[in-house]
Amino acid sequence: MDTRIKAIKKAAQELKDLSKGIPAVDCNVGRILASVKMLEINISDLLTYRI
Amino acid sequence: MKTSKKESETYWNPLVETLPMERLRDLQFKKFKKIFEWAYKRSKFHRRLYQEAGLQPRDIKSYEDIAKVPKVEKSMMRDIQKKDPFPYGDALCVPLEEVTEFRQTSGTTGTPVYQPDTWQDWEWWSEAWAYLLYAQGYRKTDRVFLPFGYNIFVAFWAGHYGAEKIGCEVVPGGVLDTEARILKIQELRATAMMATPTYVLGMADAAKKKLGIDPARDLSIRKITCAGEPGASIPSTKKRMEEAWGAKVYDHVGATEIGAWGFECVAQPGGLHVNEALFLTQLEDIESGEIIEEPGRRGKIVITALDRIAQPCIRFDSKDVAEWSKDPCPCGRTFRLIKGGVVGRADDITKIKGVLLAPSAIEEVVLSIQGLSNEFEVVVTKKEDLDDITLKVEILPDEERNRETILSQLKDQLRLKTNLGYNIEVHPCLSLPRYEIKAKRFKDLRKQG
Repeated sequence: MDTRIKAIKKAAQELKDLSKGIPAVDCNVGRILASVKMLEINISDLLTYRI
Repeated sequence: MKTSKKESETYWNPLVETLPMERLRDLQFKKFKKIFEWAYKRSKFHRRLYQEAGLQPRDIKSYEDIAKVPKVEKSMMRDIQKKDPFPYGDALCVPLEEVTEFRQTSGTTGTPVYQPDTWQDWEWWSEAWAYLLYAQGYRKTDRVFLPFGYNIFVAFWAGHYGAEKIGCEVVPGGVLDTEARILKIQELRATAMMATPTYVLGMADAAKKKLGIDPARDLSIRKITCAGEPGASIPSTKKRMEEAWGAKVYDHVGATEIGAWGFECVAQPGGLHVNEALFLTQLEDIESGEIIEEPGRRGKIVITALDRIAQPCIRFDSKDVAEWSKDPCPCGRTFRLIKGGVVGRADDITKIKGVLLAPSAIEEVVLSIQGLSNEFEVVVTKKEDLDDITLKVEILPDEERNRETILSQLKDQLRLKTNLGYNIEVHPCLSLPRYEIKAKRFKDLRKQG
């Protein structure tokens, strides 16, 4: 799951880079990244912190 | 990382909610270090506070070191927001333009404190509520009614978003009056509701008296989540609510500056779980500040929100008084339990005639006596250097014939549960103040001279 979460995050960040400032892209990417952060808290942190 | 279907039916996140205690501590320690460093680098307020204590991020080397970090009190937050950037002050850790949410505290204990949150923080708020609502049995099949004013206070805002996150259908009861809300609950056959205990009881009264509706018989609400007051953890108040609505009533505890940090689960174990995935909850001796790890000893709750970034909440002195439970919860969560919920606030627990009194103890007695209404008021005064305590109650009209028995029971139970004698005043039914949000039933007038 962590691998997939990292891939979503990378794809979202790349999308933002590609948009070159289109608000409809950047703002929706911001929301995606906030949701990704919740996935990191629930899943990835356990690996990141070697729990 | 493997979980069973049954675990996913029980827990919002089985991976952390069943993590052994020592691994939870390890996770909390590592996340604490991260949020401490975040605040140290970005907030002038936090850096100043920690530098004055001679602490830098590298000094937090063990879980025990966390106790060395100075606590933050609400009064400090009031001072901070007089500084730049307007209107939050120098505890802000993100550029102002990243703040998407404004809320403020209710001002019950003084000037309201402003609370900025980014969208990520707001996702985190709803995540905390998703943990608690899922633990209380909320599922996609629920239609959740929120009889709440959707105003400047955080109150049930995050409950709305948390229920949506789970997949519930959420009905915002916004500006409707009490009767319209009851009728809407009936019309839509809502299955769950969130409100303060005072309002839950007030709605049931209004339904019966004004609309001839018996909520337990005529409505479909089967679970109620309470917040804002301790009532849902006070057995007699919980019983009255559950009987009035024919529903399970669950408590939850949180604060604007902190987040939704504690919850009762469907097992109703006589206490609240602290959410150990998102918060570090420490119990400290009120006098010495010593960390209390053992059950059975009351202390003050000091909380860190481990993932809140705009205005971090690090070792916030909640003033809430509680004690750890010695028993594990039958629900299987490894998140610790606080016994009987929050029993009071350090600044509410007061000495009267030399006896320590938590106002919740009076509520427990009054609402356990059949024949008394749900409302009461306590007034403490000083008469010639002696403390004097008056309890105002209402006897229900059809119980007037039992007046002597009721008052005798009340006096006996008060003496037994609080070790104090009271002047009892009986007021006409419906004459004492009614509240919709946070009730103010305890008035200590001694400090006013």
